[in-house]
Amino acid sequence: MADHGASKINHDNHLLLDQPLLRLPYELLRKNIRSAHYHIEWDTNAVKDLLKETATNSINQKASKQDVVNNLDQMLARMRGLKRKLSTYAEEENRQYRQSTARIAHLRELSDVHTVEDVKYESWSRQRLDRLVVDYMLRHGYNESANVLAKERNMLELVDIDTFVAMSKIRQSLENGSVQEALAWCNENKKELRKMQSNLEFMLRCQQYIELNRSSCPKQDAIAHARKYIIPFSNTYPTEVRHIAGLLAFGSDTPHEPYASLYSSARWTMLADLFTDAHLKLLGLPQFPLLHIALSSGLSALKTPACHSSQQNQSHQGHKYYRSSTPGAGKEVTPEPRSHGTASLQTSVCPICSTELNSLAKNVPYAHHSKSHLLVHDLMLLPNGRVYGKEQLDDYAEKSRLAHGEVKDLVTGERFREEDLKKVFIT
Amino acid sequence: MASEKSKLEALEEEYRKINKLPRLSKAVENVDKIIELLSAAREQVASASESHTAITITKLQNPVKTAFEAVNDGLKGAAAAHKKIGKALDRSFPLKPLPTDHDAMADHVSLINRAIAMHLLREGQFSVASTFISEVQSTLRREELADMDEHMDEGGDEDEAMDADDAFSTTSSENYDLSSFHSQELQENFAEMYNILQELKAKNLMPAITWARNNSVELEARGSNLEFELSRLQFVWLFKGPSVNGLPDDENNGQRGALRYARSNFAHFQVRHLSEINRLACSMAFAPNIAASPYKQIFAIDTAFSDVASSFTREFCSLLGLSAESPLYLAATAGALALPQLMKYTQKTLAKGTEWTTSNEMAFETPLPESMLYHSIFVCPVSKEQTTDANPPMMIPCGHVLAKETLQKLCKGSRFKCPYCPSEGMIKDARQIIL
Repeated sequence: MADHGASKINHDNHLLLDQPLLRLPYELLRKNIRSAHYHIEWDTNAVKDLLKETATNSINQKASKQDVVNNLDQMLARMRGLKRKLSTYAEEENRQYRQSTARIAHLRELSDVHTVEDVKYESWSRQRLDRLVVDYMLRHGYNESANVLAKERNMLELVDIDTFVAMSKIRQSLENGSVQEALAWCNENKKELRKMQSNLEFMLRCQQYIELNRSSCPKQDAIAHARKYIIPFSNTYPTEVRHIAGLLAFGSDTPHEPYASLYSSARWTMLADLFTDAHLKLLGLPQFPLLHIALSSGLSALKTPACHSSQQNQSHQGHKYYRSSTPGAGKEVTPEPRSHGTASLQTSVCPICSTELNSLAKNVPYAHHSKSHLLVHDLMLLPNGRVYGKEQLDDYAEKSRLAHGEVKDLVTGERFREEDLKKVFIT
Repeated sequence: MASEKSKLEALEEEYRKINKLPRLSKAVENVDKIIELLSAAREQVASASESHTAITITKLQNPVKTAFEAVNDGLKGAAAAHKKIGKALDRSFPLKPLPTDHDAMADHVSLINRAIAMHLLREGQFSVASTFISEVQSTLRREELADMDEHMDEGGDEDEAMDADDAFSTTSSENYDLSSFHSQELQENFAEMYNILQELKAKNLMPAITWARNNSVELEARGSNLEFELSRLQFVWLFKGPSVNGLPDDENNGQRGALRYARSNFAHFQVRHLSEINRLACSMAFAPNIAASPYKQIFAIDTAFSDVASSFTREFCSLLGLSAESPLYLAATAGALALPQLMKYTQKTLAKGTEWTTSNEMAFETPLPESMLYHSIFVCPVSKEQTTDANPPMMIPCGHVLAKETLQKLCKGSRFKCPYCPSEGMIKDARQIIL
């Protein structure tokens, strides 16, 4: 039931889908400063130590003037390197600040809008859809599409192309059978991954070991690798470690489980998924596209039992693109006198009945209503069982130039005498 | 609501303050200082005599130490600013976890892809749409190849070969799904629509009129007056003359032009719209002072062009069997509006440990604004259930409507009494109706 309150925007709850918009830049800022901190610490300590050592040696006359100059050059090189790295981090920080500012301004626009009917709401909501679509494209690896759309809509500051492109690069390297990039990423985020109790690094190391076994290199290499990277985890992942140990005895053509599946190429996809999960979790992003969340909630809210009913005529209107896909149908000039929908006389074709979403919505439950809600009033029953509002029938009769006392079915086009109509009472 | 408004504003305010706080660039400046110190010392050591080296290098210790502390302070300052962002977010934009335990859409990626492609075309984003379609297709091809590889790799094992087979057939059917969607045809259609809309924006009605004429049979069957509305606007537009419409000042413009236009074009509207045509003709007599005449309404066309543009869009999409507004837009918007209810519900069921078992109908109401309701909803007043194909609405002789199952339960033998009025009826007299 549409009550008046439904068109009011509840600001407290309207930005649920938009949480990552501000959370992600914040997470990235933190990640950025962690990396900066790491580099500062590393280089600072090195330079401090070297300076101290140089001073001591110089006082003790253990170092010549040339030694001191050389050491100073070394320190300078280090500091210049640090400066270069820090400048990139500072640049990234500025970028995140810029994005946050743009995003909060975008969200803030909504606080001036109080109802869904406001024209400003429409443009805001359209932009939200564009954001959701870009997010969807990025998560599915359609990076170029995401880029073009974001540029076209002038909203590069509102979407996270860089983050996802970096992620999909690593993902792709895994799908192509290389663990190096993912391992480097693990190394960068060691602490956080440990906090999350992620098994990603362990799995990557296992894969390295599996590849060593697959290749023709001596078994000692594989054993050395296992000692260093896998055995330390034998308490955390006992079963896996046992399987890994057993793998030494089997070649890559073994039919025996679990070794055959360890050698399977499907593991790379599994690793790619594992990486994606860890990456999204680390950045506090939902595991699947926001558009999925919006759609599964929105399709249900809009869906009615009529949308996939066999009786309602609107539903087959929506299937034109299915039907015309049979070869030869082509572009019809004059289509069959397709029973004309109620659309022109009511409002417009229902979005769930429209081709775009009709099949997608088949799988979701329809909305719950506790009260009848009729779009038209003064209901009249035609002899063929269809019910319309009196005004609709009068309008349509006039537009169709019917004789006085005649009405025409809005959907089927059948004509009836007005005296054959019956009043319908909805309680 | 007022407090929430101030929440977003408060957040913006906080961000503005935090924006002014020192950032990492401060640390970079201090690194610069260290570089200066070091290079100055280097010059000094290199140019001075050996005996001064120790002094120079000892003197260097403290300033460098201070500068390093400053670098660290810069880092800490930046981190503190970030912490403030975190706090501001927690205060004004607290994290509410989204329902992410189950992704109902995950298995329908190709359907979503198609919906997005159609949405992009409908929005006139033709280049984005074609990039998207080609990216989707190439990903599909890649996946198919990968599946084939797997299929061949594991051909030896009976079970796995079966699995691979399954995977292969799934992807190929999804692939079929996307290629069966006639993006080219749809794009041509929408390109036509955009051209016509563009011309309408530039106050050129002719392409729209031509389209309406070509589709007049269908439009008329739908009870649409679009063609006449466009033609009438054209008449008024010409009538206003070159000073308003900016068209060349010749015999095809102005009142004469309007009359000419009417003579050659209005004939076939006469049956349906005679009275309106008469009004237009009569208005000619008041030409010198339309604004004070009874016809001023017809000639007030401030919003006329945008009105015909939107009814044109509606008719154009309806003839394609599509809704006038992008369904993807409507669904996403409805989704955002309904999401709070969904989250409230999931929280409650989670707390209780119960689960909704009927998958046909949602367990809770998701109120949407009036403009987002497209079908009449009938809820049986007795059973409080929505009627469906399986349980359709039935009208009993007194004119009241009940769900079929309700009626069956009310029946004593073949008779029942209406729960809403004193009349009684026979089950055979109840009729199924289509609302």
